[in-house]
Amino acid sequence: MSVWERTPERRRATAWAAAGIPDGNVGADEALTAGTSADDGGRLREGRLYRGVSGVDQGPRPMSTEELAGLNDPMAVVFFRQARWPMTLEDLLDGLTQANVLLAQAVYMIGEAGQIPPDEACELSRDIRFAITRASSGKDPDLLVSSDPTSAFLQVAAWDSTAQVFNYYMRISPAWVWTGNSWSALEPGSRGKGCFDSHANGSVVMKELKQPWNNWQSMSATIQLAPDDPLRGNPLYRQVIGAERLELAVRGLIARWTTARLAAVACDGMVEHPDHVLRQLFTSTTVNLASSSTQSATVTHDGRDLVLPMGFWLNSDALINDFGLPVSVETAPSAPASFYADSLATFGFRLEERTSGFSRQGDTFFAFVVPEAAYEDNEVVRQLVEKSLVPAKFAACVLMVDFTNPVFSPVRARLMKYVPMASASTATWCAEIATSIVAAASTLPAGSPESQFAENWSLAEAEWRAVLARRIDDYLEKATARIRTASGFDDFTRLAESRRREFKAMRLNEFELTLPMTDIAADAPRLRMNEDATVTAVN
Amino acid sequence: MSTITRYGPPGRLTDLSDVGLKAWHVFIADSVDQAINGPDPSQVLHDSPRSQFYNLTKTETAPDAAEATVTWTAFPNRLRSAVSDRQRWQRADASRDVQDEYCEWSVTRNEAGKIIRVAFTCEGPEYWDVLAQTSPETALELYRAHISPSVQSSDLFGPDGRYLRRNKWNDSTTHGAMHLIQPSNTLGAEIELAAAATIRRVIEGRQLTGAQELIACSKYGVADRNSDPHIGEVVNSVARQKADLALSDPVGLYFDDLATDGWSTPDGSDAKSYWTYERGDTGHPVRAVYEVAERNFTVGDITISGKPIEYGAQIADFITMKLTAVACRFGRSTTEPQTACVEPPAREFSPGAFSPHALSAHGYLGVHPDLASRSTRLS
Repeated sequence: MSVWERTPERRRATAWAAAGIPDGNVGADEALTAGTSADDGGRLREGRLYRGVSGVDQGPRPMSTEELAGLNDPMAVVFFRQARWPMTLEDLLDGLTQANVLLAQAVYMIGEAGQIPPDEACELSRDIRFAITRASSGKDPDLLVSSDPTSAFLQVAAWDSTAQVFNYYMRISPAWVWTGNSWSALEPGSRGKGCFDSHANGSVVMKELKQPWNNWQSMSATIQLAPDDPLRGNPLYRQVIGAERLELAVRGLIARWTTARLAAVACDGMVEHPDHVLRQLFTSTTVNLASSSTQSATVTHDGRDLVLPMGFWLNSDALINDFGLPVSVETAPSAPASFYADSLATFGFRLEERTSGFSRQGDTFFAFVVPEAAYEDNEVVRQLVEKSLVPAKFAACVLMVDFTNPVFSPVRARLMKYVPMASASTATWCAEIATSIVAAASTLPAGSPESQFAENWSLAEAEWRAVLARRIDDYLEKATARIRTASGFDDFTRLAESRRREFKAMRLNEFELTLPMTDIAADAPRLRMNEDATVTAVN
Repeated sequence: MSTITRYGPPGRLTDLSDVGLKAWHVFIADSVDQAINGPDPSQVLHDSPRSQFYNLTKTETAPDAAEATVTWTAFPNRLRSAVSDRQRWQRADASRDVQDEYCEWSVTRNEAGKIIRVAFTCEGPEYWDVLAQTSPETALELYRAHISPSVQSSDLFGPDGRYLRRNKWNDSTTHGAMHLIQPSNTLGAEIELAAAATIRRVIEGRQLTGAQELIACSKYGVADRNSDPHIGEVVNSVARQKADLALSDPVGLYFDDLATDGWSTPDGSDAKSYWTYERGDTGHPVRAVYEVAERNFTVGDITISGKPIEYGAQIADFITMKLTAVACRFGRSTTEPQTACVEPPAREFSPGAFSPHALSAHGYLGVHPDLASRSTRLS
């Protein structure tokens, strides 16, 4: 079990046990409280910075002076190199201010139980956390802190402008531990482990990135506190601003790391580890959570139509916004409110936290939360195209394979086997991959992933955008019609639940209350959307 | 703390004469008083009085006062259901009538079609009514300074001498934006909304707390905006702490900030440095301009997440607006919550009560927002 998982100073990941996810990482056998010692006595000693990268290090060990000198982020420069060891959130923030560093502070708040009235669920641990950014005036943030009001856990992502990476730290009293940097997220040994279970590609994370930012305090929803909640007296609480601002910051930071990363791996006409880069095109390395903007409890049978998030239908961010496919459909498909209201009873929607025994009928606060294509995956692809490392047509042709399943597509993922793992020329890599796929397609049945790609790839340069856009239009028109039938909406509800269950199997899903439960059988087949907007089981 | 002697002009602007200042105070004070009273209970049920809302000039602000700033995004929420960003940006840039988040803008392009300047305003139309009536020359000078030197008095005033809110220099997204004209973007609407939102609602034993359920029940503002439901939710959350609440002086709608995360300029200069406030004091800006000066590139050469700025709406995505309220006497209000939702008067449907024209002009069903706003008057 890794230091990251074992310490009590981490978040209370209620969802992992419920989903059968081990609370530790296989192969990470660091010792902290028992067994072999990283320091003497099996304890961390105060006044030290340790290194403890899950999956790589055998245990936390003190960083050497040389290693510390190699860290040039604000945490290292302001604190650790000065032998300063802030043990509380307040100490950390005050220390930055006293050093006249990163004076622009923004405070955000999140809680999966934040919209459940406190007086209705006394048994519920509310798990409200702060996310705090610190920046130089007029600049993007260089430091992000995640902590709870009692400072039971304290984690930091700090931008190292010299190394062009985020360094990740967590306080494990009485010391601090460097748990890796952005590159650690991409290295096989540490990928998906420790903090990189959520910082999947090395950047900062905001799962509910878009409006209405479900679970965040925002202009769409204010977190509910009891009148006597001590949080009301917390100076940071009084500084909380809406998550709409954090979205902009996180997008900028993901773009920053992506730029740095691509500059490092694609230079001198070669790209290192093409598979590391292109898995963000062919697969879902992670996801964001999107939802309708409608408060579930306000949906009535005669209410206004429910607009489902575009990311449920396709990767519109990449295909339509980034690649500019000229679709004609102007409005996202929407369902009669009565269908949604009925579905809550039909499928037994409820919020449930087994660790506390809490259960309440109904959906999440904002209706219809689903995983959608991750901004950090799309940003890699967008920058690859912008930098002419990948032709827009190539990227679009890949994403149009099984495009009606924008996340967790095993069909699209099958094409990863054509992506080389050894360094490749940026001038030819995509053409070579395309050639391999097209060659394979000739021996495979129509409808295979290879054939789908080959068909897209055969389109002339002058027509591919229009042709692909027409397919999207046709699909959205069919979806728009089907969602206005009771059976169609039920199918989409089942599909949404199928995708939610795939998310629940990820360590990114930390809290049981992030997503609703339903009565749909646990062993129900995994579902997929077809281009005619029907829903069928995955073969 | 005590009472204030009179309400000041938005942004503490210095345009008004003494007569204008007095007229402005009267307008705000009257609006607040009417909002406190609420609608006639014989006409509208469960929406009055609003005894947790108060007039700063008549009721003391207690020592436990705390300010609450409410912020929201300037891009119109009701355009968010578009399939693509380009579609929603195009729609937002097409008409002032859809710019309904108390922020409106006008875009200036060069001969190549690139954006060179975007002017944003959040000045309420009522202020300009007062200004134009009491200091018409000042109003004309301001138009000439901020919109075009070509503005003529006859462009701004009708044959009867009345100021035209929607005049040729303030009715489009391309020829200038001096102040708000979208029908819902009024200070009167802001005051009415804030007052109505102080009413706590306990429906079938459950206290309403969510922005959408509150606006649906209390029927204040427009439900599909960013602003109105959020303002109502925050105000109501204060009211639920059994506090009294007032809109801070100077009552108005203000720019909060422009974020430039992910913006990139051709020469690496700070993208935020091209954002300037032209009217309003520190903390209360009411007019902002995004324009690149003394550089060899234009606004259209700046990129946001890799995409060049082709629409003013792209900038609006990054603008936050704000209003500020003051709350006091926490825990001391004895006002009981309403146990039913607002019931508007039953109306006889006549051909004049609703017409396609009303919808096409304003994009909203129901009461024309002009009917809900209060006229300004001199006294």
